[in-house]
Amino acid sequence: MSNTNDFEFMRFGERGWLATCMRDFDDVTSGLFVNAIADAVRPKNGITDAIAGIDSIAIRFDNTQLDANDALKLLKDATKKTAAPNDTQPPDKTIEIPVLYGGDAGPDLESVCAQTKLTTDQLINKHASPPYRVITVGFAPGFAYMGPLDKALQIPRLATPRARVAAGSVAIAGGFTGVYALPSPGGWNIIGRTPVPLFDAARPSPFLFKPGTAVQFRPIDETEFQELSKQTP
Amino acid sequence: MTIVARVILSGPQTTVQDAGRGGMRHLGVPLSGAADQISLALSNAALGNPWDAPALECTLGGLVLEFTEQTEFALGGAEMTAALNDTPLSLYDPISVSAGDRLKLGQARVGMRCYIAIAGGIAGSDFLGSVSTHLPARLGGVDGRALSAGDHIIAGSLQIGQTVDVPTYLRTTMSHDWFLRTLPGPEYENFSDEARRCLFSQNFSADRRGDRMGIRLSGKTIEPPDLPPMKSSAVFPGTIQCPPDGAPFLLLSDAQTLGGYPRIAQLIDADLPLAGQIRPGDRVWFLETTTEAARQITMQRMAYIDATLPGFKFA
Repeated sequence: MSNTNDFEFMRFGERGWLATCMRDFDDVTSGLFVNAIADAVRPKNGITDAIAGIDSIAIRFDNTQLDANDALKLLKDATKKTAAPNDTQPPDKTIEIPVLYGGDAGPDLESVCAQTKLTTDQLINKHASPPYRVITVGFAPGFAYMGPLDKALQIPRLATPRARVAAGSVAIAGGFTGVYALPSPGGWNIIGRTPVPLFDAARPSPFLFKPGTAVQFRPIDETEFQELSKQTP
Repeated sequence: MTIVARVILSGPQTTVQDAGRGGMRHLGVPLSGAADQISLALSNAALGNPWDAPALECTLGGLVLEFTEQTEFALGGAEMTAALNDTPLSLYDPISVSAGDRLKLGQARVGMRCYIAIAGGIAGSDFLGSVSTHLPARLGGVDGRALSAGDHIIAGSLQIGQTVDVPTYLRTTMSHDWFLRTLPGPEYENFSDEARRCLFSQNFSADRRGDRMGIRLSGKTIEPPDLPPMKSSAVFPGTIQCPPDGAPFLLLSDAQTLGGYPRIAQLIDADLPLAGQIRPGDRVWFLETTTEAARQITMQRMAYIDATLPGFKFA
């Protein structure tokens, strides 16, 4: 059980409310908490969307079915009834993501090394060693915010976002690491690329990542990258 | 599977759009769908199609289709010259065609997007219950891409009901000057008085850089609030974000699901279809309103809409 005082509630447009978590959680705990709340409120009658960010939940309601105050009550109830995860036990299954670091696959690797004063090997080791959790999904189909990222690797976004980031790009920004599932514009520092398709609309389950998924990166070389790319059409 | 038409010229960007994939934002999947849902709905209604039937959305005109079967179609949205075998056409009129007839859209004069509805709708690849094309993720439509010359348009098989005489007052009024009513966004209070005045006391110009994801607006820049970097949080079509460069960004139907820039304002539902018709160079004014006033406007608007478009909902 949590307390509604842990949240700040705000109206967001005619059919929306936003709840922001005011507790001083780390991003993984906070992300899993707000996702659990969003999951609890989403199936309620008249709720058309429940979207978890890193520390917030936005709902949208059908205002022909539900009064704004009743929608707020559903959101408040979900925040009250959902326990804050005090122990973020990783699930049994871990998804391994092979990554070719640096070179054309990771155009920002050198600049990240310079900013963090790490050698390439140290950086790869620090990025690929720890297990991560998917904190939340969003921005684009298949994009996952993962953490926690080693403090030594925490650097800001690029001053000027790239117009186009290749699909499969593995990137870091602030306290997060993430993988671009699709070619898109992007402002994160790109350190590598995975040949694994993260989103495929034609697959029975199109999305590889869900909030809470455990992820382990594994450094691979160019040869293995090419081989794995061939296996995945 | 009936091929109903063949694309001779696609124009700058023509895609298949319906009312979009609502309720999928928690998966990172944007709404997509017609940028001007009223024009889509009315084009469909003119044929007796369900209001949300998939139709073609053609950016700035330039589309040429050759029909390969007998069918009916209707045009809507942006003001353009349109002709069937050189006979001029008007918007929201059902037009009967036979194989070999050619529809030619000129350049849109006012407004950004034209809609071409076909009796029974248009078939496309379905993803999560919608055939709307989302170009960045290659979802829906024809292989998730914009149409190109030589593509076939496959007829849909939706039930056709009573055709509707589309009243003028329901149509999206085309203009080069757009007055859009807004409600405060979640970070509204964090902006300085000066920054807020700046948003509501000038006309912005819609940038060249504009697509179905959103429109960058240039003008006197808006000073971002003095906040620690925001944690990514939900954004919607109609959200106005203020990136550090001070040029507000008005999100449209392909809006990403999460964003990291302060959200200064949110368009009211009734004005969202207007935003889908803003073209580069148009002038944009933002007006402030209240939640209560917005609710009244929507309810009154819906009362008029309901008679013509049963079941219509703002996206």
